[in-house]
Amino acid sequence: MGSTLFVIGLSWKTAPVAVREKLAFSAGEIPGVLRELTAQPNIEEALLISTCNRVEIYATTPRTAPASAVASATAEARGFLARSRDVSSEDLAECLYEITDGEAATHIFHVAAALDSMVVGESQITGQLKEAYGAAVHAHTAGPVLGRCMERAFGTAKRVRSETGIARGAANVSSVAVELAQLVFGELTGRRVLLIGAGKMSALAARHLRSHGAAAVSVTNRSRERARELARDIEGEVEPWDELESLLARHDVVVTSTASPQPVLTVPLVKRAMKTRRRRSLVIVDIAVPRDVEAKAGSLDGVYLFDVDDLRRVADQNIEERWREADAAAAIVADEVEQFYRWVKIQPVVPTIRALREHFAGVAEAEVDKAVKSLRQRHEPGEQERIVRRLGELIANKLLHDPMAALKAGGEPSPEELVAALHRLYPLGDPGIEPPRRAHAPEKKPTARDQAETSAEPRAPAPVPSEVAHRAPAPPESREANAPAADDAERETEPPLPEVATHAGGRRRGSA
Amino acid sequence: MDGRVDIFAAGALPVVAAVHTTAPSAAFYVALVLYGAAALLGVGAFSASPPRWVHIAGPVAMGLAFLAHAGDISFRAFEGVHPGYSVREALGFLSWVIVGGYLCFAVRGRLTLLGAFVAPAAMAVLAAARLSPSGDALVGLTLLGRIHIALAALGVALFALATLVAGMYLLEERNLKRKRFDRVLFRRGVALERLDALVHRLVFVGFPIFTASIVLGVAWMAERQASFLRIEYPLALVAWATFASLLVVRARGWRGRRSAQLTIVGFSVALVVFLIYLVRRALGA
Repeated sequence: MGSTLFVIGLSWKTAPVAVREKLAFSAGEIPGVLRELTAQPNIEEALLISTCNRVEIYATTPRTAPASAVASATAEARGFLARSRDVSSEDLAECLYEITDGEAATHIFHVAAALDSMVVGESQITGQLKEAYGAAVHAHTAGPVLGRCMERAFGTAKRVRSETGIARGAANVSSVAVELAQLVFGELTGRRVLLIGAGKMSALAARHLRSHGAAAVSVTNRSRERARELARDIEGEVEPWDELESLLARHDVVVTSTASPQPVLTVPLVKRAMKTRRRRSLVIVDIAVPRDVEAKAGSLDGVYLFDVDDLRRVADQNIEERWREADAAAAIVADEVEQFYRWVKIQPVVPTIRALREHFAGVAEAEVDKAVKSLRQRHEPGEQERIVRRLGELIANKLLHDPMAALKAGGEPSPEELVAALHRLYPLGDPGIEPPRRAHAPEKKPTARDQAETSAEPRAPAPVPSEVAHRAPAPPESREANAPAADDAERETEPPLPEVATHAGGRRRGSA
Repeated sequence: MDGRVDIFAAGALPVVAAVHTTAPSAAFYVALVLYGAAALLGVGAFSASPPRWVHIAGPVAMGLAFLAHAGDISFRAFEGVHPGYSVREALGFLSWVIVGGYLCFAVRGRLTLLGAFVAPAAMAVLAAARLSPSGDALVGLTLLGRIHIALAALGVALFALATLVAGMYLLEERNLKRKRFDRVLFRRGVALERLDALVHRLVFVGFPIFTASIVLGVAWMAERQASFLRIEYPLALVAWATFASLLVVRARGWRGRRSAQLTIVGFSVALVVFLIYLVRRALGA
């Protein structure tokens, strides 16, 4: 009973890009897909995430469906994917994974925290997942279970990010250049960047440097036209190609990416430039192959030269470093998943608990109101105590009335089952001694008191006979009018509540 | 402690002269143990993947040691033994100043790694200064002499800090040049230019203090009509000249590796001068 969360999909781990691109959905398609998915008989809530590295459906079975509905639901989702993308089921089966029961949330939380990403700890996936969830909310296909799940998934991602080093260190070549420049200069604020050659990679690196505070970016290229283009792209300045030496003297971070077969920056040239800049540090990042800078220039005082291999090595190390943090991250995920499933487990009984609580509170409140009115008018010393005692009995009687009527009525569920359920719910002592038909007042009293004590904190026992609980709320008048004679006989032995309010008194008279 | 009782018993200050050989206070031993702990934690921080608490525990141990050390210095000051009293007191004071400087760096920047060098240095200097037998007051130590010793200690302490930072610079620079992207200096180090600027600032502040102490030292010797023909005097001048030239070339744009190396050379010479003093006092010359 209750919704079951499941995941079906494929990712870079299971499917080559040829399959992933076939199954990818564009943002415009998603609302329609979600509606179609939730139209399936065994799928209630659904979310679809489609990025270049994964296509996954997060969905739940209907609240009222049995646990076995998951199998049909995944089959429906699988069939839908095959149909909508015109892929044969066999092809799909090879790379599709289906995650049900306790593992679904674990997978979703891992995805959100970028632990399942190709570059572990990358920052995009959380945002992509947020968009996917937004689309599902918009299409009204995200219900309480998915909502809770995604909310906790984002919370987990945030925790993982702040409590572990999973996102630390640049993981791609162009942002490693920033990291290396920071090792030499610290803050990059005000540092000047020079791009030699108008490659795409160097433009990327320049953007990273600028986002870390680097001041002006200059571009120089053999072909002035391409330099101008790139400069326009990254809002930089074009500098003349034949002034390389003075350009080196004026800039702090140099990124080279020309297609020149010979080195562009020779040792003597760099040496002269260093003299002009009085040996202030100069970081040169050479991402060209063949290299643009003579390797020996790196041993000059104050020159820090890095080539593509160095950048890649640092990026790899950073990723390795992130993996070291993955254990700590997985522990956080496990903790959050456990909390989530604890929440899921109590969901089926939550409406019953709420209804039970409201019913009990309603009965008690009505009786207390009547008692308060009598108390306001009676001031004799013995009278007040009598009213309060009578109040307790009245509440207990009213609360007991429906369960007792159900016990006596027989039928489905059988009285034996009801007795067993009651013994499970209340501390009634040894079950099965009293025949369910004859309940005596002395036995009832402690029951009522026990109930008053325990009702303050409603527990959620697994086998709640929800039919009984749901049948309970009914207008008090009709219940009293239909009360069996045995109850009335018991009641008559007690002194009646003093009649003060006319409507209350009238009701009492009618029942007596 | 006996000394203090004596002071009060006699009710007059002249008795202070009898107090001069004090036993190390309890605070001294506490400081020594804490420096030891800080040294171990500092070295631990250099291991491949230390637990997170090591990075906090090291500076905290250092801070506590600093307080204990301050307690020891003030305890001795009550007994009339102050940092300018003798070379060994000056040395103890010197290590205290170094630790104070380190704490400033640790709080303000990511320079906690320096603790691995500072803590053992402070411990060694403190132990050598306090437990060596050369603690008696100099004969004829005038006010001039005391100020000279205190200033020399302060100046050398600043140079010592500069040297530690310069050492760190050289290590990091070599690593970067050799493209050794390791897990300690590469991941937790401080940017080269920041280290370089720090070295410069320390030398810049230490130099006038050191200069003043040399001038006072010369004046003091003239007062005593002592002989200038001792090995430590030209050496002190060499140290001074090294730092002077360092400041000059820096002003002309020199920086980085060479200025770090020059800093270390200057400090080494100054340290040798200090050691010669200490040995001479120990031998009773």
